[in-house]
Parts: sequence; structure tokens; C-alpha cells
Amino acid sequence: MKRYFATILGFAFLLAALLSPAWAVRIGDKAPDFTATDTNGQSHKLSEYAGKFVVLEWHNRGCPYTQKHYTSGNMERLQREWTAKGVIWLTVISSAPGKQGYVTAADENSYVKEMKAAPTAVLLDPTGAVGHLYDAKTTPQMIIINPQGVMIYDGAIDDKATTDTADISGAKNYVQQALEEATSGKAVSVASTRPYGCSVKYPD
Amino acid sequence: MPLARAAKYFVVRTLLLAAFGLPALLSAAAGQSPPSHATIELIADLTPPAGNPRLQAGLLFHLDPGWHIYWQNAGDSGEPPKITWNLPAGFIAGPIEWPAPKRLGSGSIIDYGYEDQVLLMAPIRAPMSFDYEGRPNVQFVADVKYVVCREICIPGKAHLALALPLTNDAQAREWHEEFEQARKEIPKLAPASWKISARAAQNNLVLSIAGAPQTKSATFFPQAASIIENSAPQVLATDRAGIHLTLKVSDQAAGPPTRLKGVVVLDGSLAYQIAAPVVSK
Repeated sequence: MKRYFATILGFAFLLAALLSPAWAVRIGDKAPDFTATDTNGQSHKLSEYAGKFVVLEWHNRGCPYTQKHYTSGNMERLQREWTAKGVIWLTVISSAPGKQGYVTAADENSYVKEMKAAPTAVLLDPTGAVGHLYDAKTTPQMIIINPQGVMIYDGAIDDKATTDTADISGAKNYVQQALEEATSGKAVSVASTRPYGCSVKYPD
Repeated sequence: MPLARAAKYFVVRTLLLAAFGLPALLSAAAGQSPPSHATIELIADLTPPAGNPRLQAGLLFHLDPGWHIYWQNAGDSGEPPKITWNLPAGFIAGPIEWPAPKRLGSGSIIDYGYEDQVLLMAPIRAPMSFDYEGRPNVQFVADVKYVVCREICIPGKAHLALALPLTNDAQAREWHEEFEQARKEIPKLAPASWKISARAAQNNLVLSIAGAPQTKSATFFPQAASIIENSAPQVLATDRAGIHLTLKVSDQAAGPPTRLKGVVVLDGSLAYQIAAPVVSK
């Protein structure tokens, strides 16, 4: 009798697991389309950037891992270099209201100016819809989409999972590497890594 | 090295405790130290277990309610503490012995770590030439870097020194108790009678343990990152032979692993180290 119930319970959980949105976007998949509003009230649709490389950068200014890459100027430098080469760089803030990283549009615009950041736009995603669509888990987390709309990189910004700015110069920057390879027609050698950072502060 | 001599010698004399998070450093000028949420002590075991030729030192973390530090595989976010030892010539520290972790977080972000209090032990081997009888003073130093998190994460650093020998017997006994408690939480080797296997089926991994006792719950903690999808439910099925735990392969992995290594915890508290090759069908 106990075994019967255990099996039924097992199947029930299995069914729940299969029905839950457990199929995240994987490398090589078409990046799912989305629409989001930036800090200047402009609407952006991912599909409008077909034909260009797109970087999605998950951001929370209070997270020490994000601070590592901003106070050092590392993220800003990447943004400047690649937007100058025609890459669309979208910083995404998926923090829910009341949680760390949640900002008003005006506040974020001040921050971008103060940090000399150079994204194409900062998308405000307080419901976490875009974050969940891409299963963003940490800040920072970096996703690169090619001109054909395919996800070619998903993961960490570099290979030193610390909060220490001293670790930046010796680290292998996966975003730099992936963009250099992809823009010169080569395959991305490291397409998927464990992103490191603080958890994205989704709504409860 | 003779255990009795080592035991008599390694009686810890004084302890320097210094643990502060970066926010504390930054606002030192303000004259008020914001809470760092973690305090750490560097302690040592006066009487290592019988047959254990090595002394054990340990970092005892005391965490504020709701705050946590991470296991060797932190899971979806965070990072484990890193310890850099500075020991006298000829002393060698071994790797951290990690107690069984807890699943932390919720929804799509699951981490592995510890709340309240955890002792991270490390074996320390003294050189053969070390003169216990002479009771020379030695100092162990540990530099610890860590993040402690709850809704937010705070990086921390601690520089800790432990001077030996100790004359405070009560302190030594208290510390020995901490080590004894922590030893119970180290995952045991799986019993020889268990037959452990793993197979990959589509996007799932099924971990089977034949000979495992009937259990109401089982949780697998992978030692390496990017092996399983940490936030996916782990589905337990039991039959007459044992248990089967279905795990989801990580989206970060190109395919199933060739080996499944980690800790399995049965009924919430019985923790075992397991490793099995993964058969793909």
C-alpha cells in the first residue's frame, strides 16, 4: 500500500516537474522575443534588432559583484567598445519594487551618467518578465544574441567569480572573447558558463 | 606523530578574533560599524579523533538569523568562502571538510550553503621534526574571504590568528565539542552494501541507490557547478530494491555528465558522499 502511494506521489511530482516552465533557452536556440521599456520611456522589441549582435546584461547596482565591474570601469569599457562596433547593449534591471537594485528611470539615468556607462539602453523589468524568459539567475549575467537571433553566449562576465576588482585584469573575459570570435565569423569557444553574482531580485 | 604528545601540545593559548565586512571598513570614519552579519573564530581541536594523525583547525562561522554562507558548490548564486593559510614552516593545511549543506533560496534560484553556525574544518599536519615537548610557540594564521547573504550580499574579509599552546582548558574542551558536532555533519562514505548508479535519459539524470533504506525524502547536492538544474524539483521514487532520484540536467551543460559526484541527504539529515559513472541511453 505504502509503495503504491509512493509511486503515485512520484508520478504526481514528475507531472508537476514536466508542466513547470523548466525548459529555459539554451545555447543555439532562437532567443525569445520580448518588449520592454527603457529609462527614457522608449519601447524596445528584441526582434527590431535582427541583423545586429545584442548583449543583455543583468544589473543590480547594490550587488557587490556588479559593483566590482562598475567601480572598476570594466563593464563600461566593454559597453563603449562594443556599442562603437554596432553591438546593441541592453542593460536589464529585473529587481522587483522594494528589492535591492530596483530603481526609478530618473535615478538610473543619473547612475548611467555618473558611472559613465554606455549601454544602448537600460530596460526596466520590475515584473521580472524578461528575466524569467531568459532564466536570468544572477547579476551580472551576460547573454549574447547573434544577428540571426540565436543565443550564442549565456553566463558569467569572466572566469574569476569574486567581488574583488583586483581579479579583473587577470581574468578571461568571456563576453570580450565571445564577441571577438563571433564578429569575426568564428564559433564561440566558450558558450555557456555558470554566471556568478547575487541572485536576481524577482518578485516573491 | 605521537597523538598523546600532539594532544598535550596543541592546547590553544590565545585567540585573536577579527572579522569585519567591507561596509564596516568603509564607515570606520563614521565611528559606527554596520553589522557584518557574520563573525568568525579560528579554533583548533585539542584531541583529534583516535587514529587521526593530523590536528584539525577550523573556521567557526556565527551567522545572524536568515543570513547564509555557501557550500563548495554555491549553486545558482553566491560563492564559497576562500581560506588562505599562513602556517609555520613545515606545517601543511589540507582541504576544507564541508558539512552537508542546506538548500537555500526559492523559485528559479537555488543555492547551497549554511545558516546559523557552521564549522569548516581543515586538517593541519605538523612536520615530523616538530618538538612538542619543548612547547614552542607557533601561530596559525587564516585569511578568509567570503560573502554572507540574505536579501542582499555583503562581502567580508577576516584575518585570524591562533597562537599555540593554549592554557585555557575550558576553552579547549568547548572547542573540541564544536569539532565533534561538526564531524557528525560531514557526509559519510556510502555503505559498501549500496549499489549506486546513474543514467541519463533525455534531459534527466536518474540516480539509483539499491540497498538504500526506505526514505521519505532525498536531496542530491552536486559537487560541481553546471551539472544539474539546481532549481528543478528532484523527484523521488522508491521500490523494493531502493530509491531513484530524478534530476534535471543543467541548461549550462552541453549534455549529461560522465560522472555524478556529490552528496545525497536522506530523510533530511542522513548525508552520504556518492559518486557514480553516468550511463547514457
